[in-house]
Amino acid sequence: MTRDELKSHIAGRFEGRMTLLDTGRYDPMYEVKRSDLLEVAKALRDDERVKFDFLCNLGGVDTGERFEIVYSVASTINNLRLDFKVILPYEAAEIESVQEVWPAANWHEREMWELYGINVLNHENLTRFLLPDDWDQGYPLRKDWDAPDFVRMPEL
Amino acid sequence: MGVIRKLPLYAERIPGGSLVMTSLEAVLGQAQAKSLWYLLFGTACCAIELMCTGASRYDFDRLGMIFRATPRQSDLIIVAGTITKKMAPRLRRLYDQMAEPRYVIAMGGCTISGGPFYYDCYSVEKGIDHIVPVDVYIPGCPPRPESLMEGCIHLQEKLKKTKLGDWQEKQA
Amino acid sequence: MDGLRTEEFVVNMGPHHPATHGVCRLMLTMDGERVMRIEPVIGYLHRSLEKICENRTYAQCIPILDRFEYVTSMSCNQAFALAAEKLAGIEVPERAEYLRVIMLELNRIASHLIFYGVTAMDIGALTPFLYGLREREGIIDLFEMTCGQRLTYNYIRIGGVSKDIPAQFVPQCRTVLSTIREKLHDYEGLLNENPIWLVRTKGVGYLAPEVAIAYGVSGPVLRASGVNYDIRRNDPYSIYDRFDFQVAVRPNGDCYDRYLVRLDEIKESIKIIEQALDGLPDGPISAKVSPNFKPPPGEVYSRVENSRGELGVYIQSDGGKKPLRVKTRGGSFNQLQALPVFGTGGLIADLVAIFATLDVIMPEVDR
Repeated sequence: MTRDELKSHIAGRFEGRMTLLDTGRYDPMYEVKRSDLLEVAKALRDDERVKFDFLCNLGGVDTGERFEIVYSVASTINNLRLDFKVILPYEAAEIESVQEVWPAANWHEREMWELYGINVLNHENLTRFLLPDDWDQGYPLRKDWDAPDFVRMPEL
Repeated sequence: MGVIRKLPLYAERIPGGSLVMTSLEAVLGQAQAKSLWYLLFGTACCAIELMCTGASRYDFDRLGMIFRATPRQSDLIIVAGTITKKMAPRLRRLYDQMAEPRYVIAMGGCTISGGPFYYDCYSVEKGIDHIVPVDVYIPGCPPRPESLMEGCIHLQEKLKKTKLGDWQEKQA
Repeated sequence: MDGLRTEEFVVNMGPHHPATHGVCRLMLTMDGERVMRIEPVIGYLHRSLEKICENRTYAQCIPILDRFEYVTSMSCNQAFALAAEKLAGIEVPERAEYLRVIMLELNRIASHLIFYGVTAMDIGALTPFLYGLREREGIIDLFEMTCGQRLTYNYIRIGGVSKDIPAQFVPQCRTVLSTIREKLHDYEGLLNENPIWLVRTKGVGYLAPEVAIAYGVSGPVLRASGVNYDIRRNDPYSIYDRFDFQVAVRPNGDCYDRYLVRLDEIKESIKIIEQALDGLPDGPISAKVSPNFKPPPGEVYSRVENSRGELGVYIQSDGGKKPLRVKTRGGSFNQLQALPVFGTGGLIADLVAIFATLDVIMPEVDR
């Protein structure tokens, strides 16, 4: 299946739930609404023609105006690749966990919670992970985060 | 017999054998310098260069240095790699568990001042000399095995010149 | 033994332990000598590489990401350069592609030689450590001749490579490869039929292929469980589709197969490098990239087959000279996540063997 065939298959099967964006520079990038997330994820994993069974990457992004959560999936059987993202405003930073669809998402979501502060619902173990146990200085990867001993590199 | 030639030698021959008189400091200094056992403590990239220095081409064993896995049996800790704020109390604990006399070599840019992680980094300790007292600093990112061996030879020179009184001062 | 009261207890393994590769802490719940539950505690090497990359230009990000996976830092450079080139639509010249493939495969052999030495040392055999690192020195000499560094190379840049190879590179490379090929017979003879090695690794730590795919495990660990998935073959990048090589797959999924798969991969990499040296064309070594590199807004996720699995870099750009977000993903992260699922039930010595054959590098996990 080539990339164009994949795009037409997704457009036919997931019409209305996955919208193609024009920001993906190599593999297609779709946008999914938060309410459709689990249903779309299960359908992507179980669909007969595309079977996306391998979760490559799950990460949060802070663009300065909103949060985005980017999912990258692949199919080991059909050699396909796809990305999709969920857009969240700053005030409603919560998302459901996709752990039941792809168990690989467990630690990725835990890290996203710890560094961005995006709450993950239905996660089995949302505890401290990468930062020291007595960390009380907020969520470091946000764009507006600062701390007294944080030194920024000066512009040359 | 090469070691005896280097000691300050006030030789006296007595019938039936020979006797060498020298100072206790010199003998202890030489003995300590020639068999430093180091703790295998490597966190990051410099650990690979430490492993290479202990392996075939650049052999640490010819300086008398072999690695031990526990701090109780070692007298040198080569801190190779970045120390983060989460790891700093564990480093201090390992240093406290070593028996005196004990020495520290800071290997690589990260242990001297934070290295490439000085700017824009929220979780790295910028240098280890406020956690443990350091004897030799070896710059580089990562330093070549030859640099590491030169650092260890500097430490050996320092040990050969130690006076007995220094051990008391270090505790205070 | 009825009537004796037994209870489970917790043993802490790490963060400083000779058998954990780097600073990994495992909290083990034990029933006697049997491991009942494993809980990895990580974060002792969290150096916030992603936050640093947000305040560096694209060219300055490459040496920072070198430290992400320092044993095979050519792959890290390649993943980032591929992503940046896709964002900006840059075409890489032929000679640069061939040089990249040669360096990537040499780095893969060097990493598997370290695996050979360190795994044998963890399980108790001390001699292979010296043999493996001795052969690796030959490869490191080639790297030093080309780019001046032994470990973190900063060689593969956006648009090509940074320096051309000197005249004595090709003959010396052929000598090194033929030495490794003949010495590999001796190294296999040391361990492959050794009764102690077979008892320690055969049948230990079985990983089912469905569990592996569900947890995102990739690389030699996945291929040792029988799944034929290699990004160089299934989703080719650079010019890997021009070379003739086999993908090393083994059916059993235990520690012995994970060890054998990596030795097979060394032989396949030697084949690829020889084909690339034979077909090396002349030409420029880099496309023209402006010093003020500003790709148009967009996002891309590019992935590369590393010696530990899939190494992926996701970049989102907003049109400026610094990336908006760089997210990296390493193979060891998912393998450590899968360890509590398949590593329990054995003795603690089996856990050391499983951990050694997973070949985990901690900065990939902690970033």
